[in-house]
Amino acid sequence: MAASNSSSDKGTRNLVIGMVVFVVLIGVIFSFISNRSSTTAMVPASVSADDGYGIVINPTATPTVDIYLDYQCVVCKNFEIINGGYINEIAAQNKAKVVFHTMSFLGAESVIAANAAACAADEGKFLEMNLALFQNQPTSHDSGMWAGDFMKRLGNSIGLNSATFEKCVAEGDYIDWTRNVAQASASADVNSTPTVKINGKEIDRNSEYMDPVKFRAALAAGGVK
Amino acid sequence: MVSELNKGIRSKVLNLLTSNQPWLTLLGRLILGGVLLTAGALKVGKPQLSAMSVRAYEILPTDIANFFGYVLPWFEVALGLLLIVGAAVKVCAILGGATMLIFIMGISQAWARGLSIDCGCFSAGGVVDPGETNYLSSIIRNIGLTFIAIYLYRFPKGRFGLDK
Repeated sequence: MAASNSSSDKGTRNLVIGMVVFVVLIGVIFSFISNRSSTTAMVPASVSADDGYGIVINPTATPTVDIYLDYQCVVCKNFEIINGGYINEIAAQNKAKVVFHTMSFLGAESVIAANAAACAADEGKFLEMNLALFQNQPTSHDSGMWAGDFMKRLGNSIGLNSATFEKCVAEGDYIDWTRNVAQASASADVNSTPTVKINGKEIDRNSEYMDPVKFRAALAAGGVK
Repeated sequence: MVSELNKGIRSKVLNLLTSNQPWLTLLGRLILGGVLLTAGALKVGKPQLSAMSVRAYEILPTDIANFFGYVLPWFEVALGLLLIVGAAVKVCAILGGATMLIFIMGISQAWARGLSIDCGCFSAGGVVDPGETNYLSSIIRNIGLTFIAIYLYRFPKGRFGLDK
């Protein structure tokens, strides 16, 4: 009697161990598959695989300014408030090739926002959407605020009314592309947002990000006239 | 005189650690398992952030860091679950203790090299402002957890565990 009890205890134990290991292995495989980049993903017209799948403004200008961001990142919002006007000026006046890498490591609503920004890029309104997203950043990650038809309404508010745009945000045309951006940014060893690089070299994180005068000086030193 | 006193204290501590051993093993399992399960569960849904945390230590080549970033949260979940139910406690104690030692070394080298990173222990991670690092408290926590792992390795059998 005691022997059969102990062998059934052992069976339960081994079953539990087996189940935990199995579930975790499935989880690992799922993490890899659901985050791998896709060679068949639809990409926005202004995107170049050579530029880490980022959204490129002024493709022929020099120098190259890479901006890595996540739309749910609070520091990125503060960075936009401080330096967004100047970056938009550089973009508008063709003073540099500006590449926006819309990362999405902070959660599902970062993916929704990056998709909407890409949809806006196709309509020539990336910078406007970029600003609108930061201006409407929820106070917590994946709050639910950016779900549903929020992106359609946000687009409408800045004059994006075309059927193409509304379909793009409703159907998430560029959701797969966001994974390509994420993988390329990971391979580029970007470990924080925002990250700003001029000709591939990061500006000084301790002083040049959140001071508009020093930020301008850093870009000028990198060749932005 | 002092050594007599030390001996007295030491035997009291040893007595305390062994006389209630099955309950202490349960407590240790719940603490180490609970921390691992929480840490893992907060990260499994955000593998990109987890990969970023591992990269920010600047030890491993980018591709290998990304690989560990994806695997680590699930590994922590597995160890946490097994410790809580008390299955394969000895093996989990070895793996958990080794993991804690690696974390202590990783955080220490980041501190020593002057990197400003979040340890990525729970959900956050990556490069942060120099004022936002908390290396010392993370190291102290992991040292405490390492001692729990050693205790569980020495006394793996406790109350309400599947190991018989």
